[in-house]
Amino acid sequence: MSERRLSATVEPGATPAGLHLLEMRGIRKTFGPVVALDGVDFEVGAREVHGLLGGNGAGKTTLMNVLYGLYRPDAGSVHLDGRQVTIRAPRDAIAAGIGMVHQNFLQVDSYTVAENIVLGTRQPTFPVLDLSAAKARIAELSERFGLAVDPDVRVENLSVGVRQRVEILKALFRGARLLVLDEPTTNLTPQEVDALFGSLRAIVEGGMSVIFITHKIRETMAVCDRMTIMRDGRRIATLAREETSARQLAAAMVGEAAEREPVVAVVGEAATVADRQGEAPGVPEDAPRRIVVEGLSAHNDHGVRAVHDCSFEIRAGEILGVAGVAGNGQVELAESLAGVRPAVAGRVLLDGVDMVGRPTAAWLEAGVAYVPEDRHRDGILPTLSIAENLILGAQRSRRFRRGRFIDPGAAGAVAAVAMSTYEIKASGAATAAGTLSGGNMQRVILARTFSRRPGLLILHNPTRGLDIRSTEFVYDRVREATQAGAAVLLLSEDLDELTLLADRILVLYRGRIAGERRRGGYDQYELGRLMAGVEADT
Amino acid sequence: MTSIAIRAPRGLPALGRLLPYVLAVLAAFAVAGIAILAMGHDPLLAYRSILTTSFKTPFGFVETMHKWVPLVLQAVAFTIPLTAGKYNIGGEGQLLVGATGATAVGILLSDLPMAALLPLLIVTGTVVGGVWAGVAAWLMHRFGINEILSTVLLNFVSFGVVDYIASEVWSDPAAGHPSTIPIGDGGLLPLLGRPPMHTGVILAAVVVGVAIVWMRRSVGGYELRAVGANARAAQVHGIRVGRVAVGALVIGGAVAGLSGAIEVAGVHGKLLEGMQSNYLLLGIIIGLIARGNILAVPFVAFGIAVLEVGASAMQRSAGVPSEMVLIVEALILVFVLLSDVLAARLGRARS
Repeated sequence: MSERRLSATVEPGATPAGLHLLEMRGIRKTFGPVVALDGVDFEVGAREVHGLLGGNGAGKTTLMNVLYGLYRPDAGSVHLDGRQVTIRAPRDAIAAGIGMVHQNFLQVDSYTVAENIVLGTRQPTFPVLDLSAAKARIAELSERFGLAVDPDVRVENLSVGVRQRVEILKALFRGARLLVLDEPTTNLTPQEVDALFGSLRAIVEGGMSVIFITHKIRETMAVCDRMTIMRDGRRIATLAREETSARQLAAAMVGEAAEREPVVAVVGEAATVADRQGEAPGVPEDAPRRIVVEGLSAHNDHGVRAVHDCSFEIRAGEILGVAGVAGNGQVELAESLAGVRPAVAGRVLLDGVDMVGRPTAAWLEAGVAYVPEDRHRDGILPTLSIAENLILGAQRSRRFRRGRFIDPGAAGAVAAVAMSTYEIKASGAATAAGTLSGGNMQRVILARTFSRRPGLLILHNPTRGLDIRSTEFVYDRVREATQAGAAVLLLSEDLDELTLLADRILVLYRGRIAGERRRGGYDQYELGRLMAGVEADT
Repeated sequence: MTSIAIRAPRGLPALGRLLPYVLAVLAAFAVAGIAILAMGHDPLLAYRSILTTSFKTPFGFVETMHKWVPLVLQAVAFTIPLTAGKYNIGGEGQLLVGATGATAVGILLSDLPMAALLPLLIVTGTVVGGVWAGVAAWLMHRFGINEILSTVLLNFVSFGVVDYIASEVWSDPAAGHPSTIPIGDGGLLPLLGRPPMHTGVILAAVVVGVAIVWMRRSVGGYELRAVGANARAAQVHGIRVGRVAVGALVIGGAVAGLSGAIEVAGVHGKLLEGMQSNYLLLGIIIGLIARGNILAVPFVAFGIAVLEVGASAMQRSAGVPSEMVLIVEALILVFVLLSDVLAARLGRARS
């Protein structure tokens, strides 16, 4: 197979760098007035893991969606093995040997692994469905590439990490020579990330290539042979790992203007977070306890207990991190501390007052502010204006109310300040919030949250999907809030974020606190083991 | 059900947002015109009488305003719960029990002077309508029973109530049609001008104005819109979603009950079987054509009232059955909804 590729790529006009499995030339894609891709050239060599690095909105996912036939480009061409190919739909991409693993897995929960993998392919035994040959092939692939998985188990019973393996196997089973992984390490424990990287190396050694979309510099440096950095719909640079450093990549991602220097510093910091290990907790022992949680238990939406007997406290000015793989009770914990979800047992003392059983509005009044994980579902009124979204939850407070009516002047003034301070990009405060981009929506939610001067701030994955500059902005606001004496509960799936910000980290596993670490004692692998439930503090 | 497009696509300038409506009306008339032509009538003559009857004579205008009152109130009764994401399909039942309550007061206390009887009658009709919708709201809140079902089914109960009151309790055997005896004179809405227009028109206009201001400016209206826009987010931010939904249905029912009381006090002077006409259906059509935007409701309702009044004139002058107007109204709704699909397609094609 590689023989054939060698002969096919020998073609006049091929880049001197050599044998490219994939070449995308001058790809341009616009959405209305927005230029998402501005004449992007992109090459992936044979047998390499190629990182595609960039902040949110840099265009990396758009570029890959063009490659996979989900978007049609306005201009540009795609070449595989030096031959131009036309890809109009994912079907064409699969036929050309391109496989894509999306962030959200497209799997049928009630099917087995093997059934999911063959779904959509035509088996030689058609119309009889005999999976024995397919299973043998799956076993062979999973053996060869270190993607351990039982083909007969239903996928609904699998963890995120294993489901991802299924998705990779699905692409390999369809004969992919070029595998595209979109932010594959979200929701994985560090151990699972290592296993994934091992498999990627095996895949590359097997003669295939991998495109690895990410915004995490550390991961790119760990696994990629070369990386392409994108910003604002343009390719900034393509570098080999040996010739670059985390700091240089960070600078390329955010741009080179001097004003961005602090941002670069932070990214560099996050990239080499181990350097910060030595610092001691910054909160004095005698700071008042703003929140004391005793034996808290809560149910999930199906009435099953999802939080078991959790006890902790947060002092004024302290950031308590909560680590865990998604679905281990984080949502339920956050919501029961925000007064949204009733506690089935235990006490929650806010500044000494037990709040359990009080209505949500009373929690808000007591100074709780909550940035929910799912901003579309829990945070935004899509058909209402930005100004109206900003007063949500405070519509009855004296700031925005005149008698029975909302004071449009007060709401408008707050909106004007918020839009400039939080750099919310919209034509005006009357714009419907549902038309904003994800990042701008999060800014509206953050503006709303921080303007309440919270005593307890609950943040659930507050920077997911935000670019570096917005992320840094959020971190600054969080630090400001702690300086003003707020207690912060930060639930995050991003261990870098937690180790950077939190004074202490609790690990949540199956709704229980599996362990606690203090700043200075953070070890991401140890946290990963706690998150995976392989080890628990007694 | 909930997939009905309730809001116009955002981001268009006001004029651009009006354009689909104009096109929808034109298209509806064009399609109905083909039908009229096929039936062997003259569509232009038919449309001229539909569109001019309301404005040619003062009598036509007063008739149109009298028609506007139940239409706009039914549309508001549908739109307020709709804003909170709830469907009140019980407007005619609420109208009938409101009318029944008003009639009962008007007959039992027929000797009271107007200053006492009329307000009592209006308030009773309103309260009874609210309580009637409150039954459905309570079933929804307490047992999770779908409010569409319960409000529709309560309509049938109300038919029975009217039948019982009009044929058994205060039946007027001389009327020749199931109806009650007349209410006391003190319960009738005063008339204004010549030809006389009942003051229920002013009352309805005030109620609609209050509803508009309340929905757009008040804290309660804000919470109502928040629940309709995203009930989860509203709940997370301390709004009691269940309470708001119940309140919206009860207020809607009260407005529908008021329309029943006005029909009794302004038009019939008694309870009459069949007085609900097709106001519920037209009220829903108005609410949907207005896409739940309460500011547009009185204007759309006026347009529909013009069509309704013009219908019988069309039958007289052009010989076209008056039911053709209902077809036009339905076609307008179909084309307005279709314009959403077209706008979405165009938007996608452009991107």
